[in-house]
Amino acid sequence: MSIKMKVFRQHTLRVSDYSQVPIWRKAHPVDLACVCYGLAVVMMVIVSYASGMNGWFPFDPQAIQMDLLNALPNTEGHLLGTDFMGRDIFSRLILGIQAYFLPGLLAVGIALALGSICGLVSGYRGGRWDAAVTYAANLVDSFPRLVLILLMIAAFKPDIYIIMAVVGLTHAPTVTSMIKSKVIFLKQQNFIEAAVSLGLKNRIIIAKHILWYNCRALLIIQATLGMAEAILIETSLSYLGFGVQEPMPSWGNMVQSGANYFLQGHFWPSTAPALAILFTILGFHLLGDGLNNILERKQGR
Amino acid sequence: MTDQTVLAIEDLHAYFYTRSKQAFIRSVDGVSLSITKGCTLGVVGESGSGKSVTALSIMGLIQGMPGIIGGTMRFLTANGPVNLLQGLDQHVKIKRDSGRILTVAKDMTKWEKRIQGRMRGLRGSQMAMIFQDPRSAMNPFSSIGDQIRETILHNTAVRRRKQAREKAMDWLARVHIDAPRVRYHNNPHGLSGGMCQRAMIAMALAAEPTLLIADEPTTGLDATIQSRIVDLMAEIKTELGVTTLLISHDIDVIRQLSDQVAVMYGGTVLERGPANTVLTPGIEPKHPYTAALLSSIPDRRLIEKKGFLNAIEGDVLDTINTPKGCRFYPRCGQVNEKIATACLNTEPPLSSIAPGHDVRCWLFEP
Repeated sequence: MSIKMKVFRQHTLRVSDYSQVPIWRKAHPVDLACVCYGLAVVMMVIVSYASGMNGWFPFDPQAIQMDLLNALPNTEGHLLGTDFMGRDIFSRLILGIQAYFLPGLLAVGIALALGSICGLVSGYRGGRWDAAVTYAANLVDSFPRLVLILLMIAAFKPDIYIIMAVVGLTHAPTVTSMIKSKVIFLKQQNFIEAAVSLGLKNRIIIAKHILWYNCRALLIIQATLGMAEAILIETSLSYLGFGVQEPMPSWGNMVQSGANYFLQGHFWPSTAPALAILFTILGFHLLGDGLNNILERKQGR
Repeated sequence: MTDQTVLAIEDLHAYFYTRSKQAFIRSVDGVSLSITKGCTLGVVGESGSGKSVTALSIMGLIQGMPGIIGGTMRFLTANGPVNLLQGLDQHVKIKRDSGRILTVAKDMTKWEKRIQGRMRGLRGSQMAMIFQDPRSAMNPFSSIGDQIRETILHNTAVRRRKQAREKAMDWLARVHIDAPRVRYHNNPHGLSGGMCQRAMIAMALAAEPTLLIADEPTTGLDATIQSRIVDLMAEIKTELGVTTLLISHDIDVIRQLSDQVAVMYGGTVLERGPANTVLTPGIEPKHPYTAALLSSIPDRRLIEKKGFLNAIEGDVLDTINTPKGCRFYPRCGQVNEKIATACLNTEPPLSSIAPGHDVRCWLFEP
């Protein structure tokens, strides 16, 4: 009788500590897929912005071709077809990114900077500072955002940077309340008291132990979501005719100009920018959600 | 106060106001302690006897209102002794009625500014603290090595990051953490409880403070780890000669580690003296509370004989309505008729019964 022996593969544990496992190995695959898609979208946006800045287009985005109006995709080399004046939609989509990329970054920057400063002050100081910040945040929150934007347009001029500054300002209360609640939670933790007892300075505790180590995930997530919101505001305003004006393309006014020919059977010129908006905003949201799941889950052990 | 005394606390009072009961909790009510250089002072007592509040007052970390309202704390800094509570009476106004404190008015903002400014240069570099739960006392997002390096960079003359990093690794090795080069990069959650406590001790010692305050360093650890941490503390004591204020409700830990002992009850010191006389059962004379505490240590033979554990009768002192007389009188088992009226009506003074041994009890008064 022969003895059958099964030899198991010997697993050698290289890393003895779970906290040393790279973060992407611990994440759920769905979250990873979301983040990858989101990162791909962000990369495409950045690459397109850079190529638009340098004037690299497949066709001249402003060149009018009267013999090729409302063409379907892939006709005569036009990858995404042409619009009602025969201009290349693909090139115009690339140029349209100029309309929201930098202004969106401005909105995000204002929201994050203002929000984290106010949140830190009101959370760490408390008392009168907290009351003042909360009043200001409630004041900003109580205005309908679109009305405020229209007011600014009426008062100044329909400049996209002014609009985006308003978007950032109105997004700041959300960030403020998030940072504030986090700071209040952290302030009661023993490690902050321990840091004080070890003689660290207040600004180092705030900047390093509270903001950098414990709020960075939150800030990244808020940045992606804020960017998505900024894009949405910009496109909807351009669609209504308040934002970027023809002949400069923006995804919003491309949808709007294409919509005039929608019922005549030319569905494509408005659908192409609409799909671009859809996939871009989806990308930013999925990036934020995925990062939220991955980074915040790490906070549990 | 000789120049060998690192810390001398005289008559420290720290009260907290409760809004719900509209009264003061007299957490620390007249504590007097002193620690000699290189010695370890153990503070024992039940929960709620004011041990931790005393420790936090020394560090200037008291959060509640009104906090410290009276007393002096002389601390021996590198530039000579400093009264940590200097100028306190300018900010506190106390209204008394025949000795009992009725109202306290304290300018919190000004006092906080003053004490924080004074403590800023002392915390970390001159005095450091080991906290009860090491895991919650370290930033969960940063590696333990980085946290130790941070205290070195901020509190010592070392300015170069690489040098500080080497020093942090030295400290990790010194508290017997295996493979310090690997563990340097671990977050607190990647370490066991005992290792975390070791890292915490390394962090507190990294700036080489004069005074180390250990607030129940062995609580929350299991028995074997506890004994190893005690061994480590004993080793640190002999090697570095750090002056230590050790707070614990574990009498065995105190007995093993300390030279001097203070027994606290209801916010005041009932007995203080050398550890081996105060904490050895059978050696008389001692305060009735100390005797009761010692008899309530679980002992196998006694349990087998009697079938139950000894416990001190009654509840821990209600620190809101402190009795007029001796604090321990309601639970004391050694009251006799001769002193009963004195116990009930007047608080006994802390008087010396042997050189270096003080007891607060009417039994020992002439």
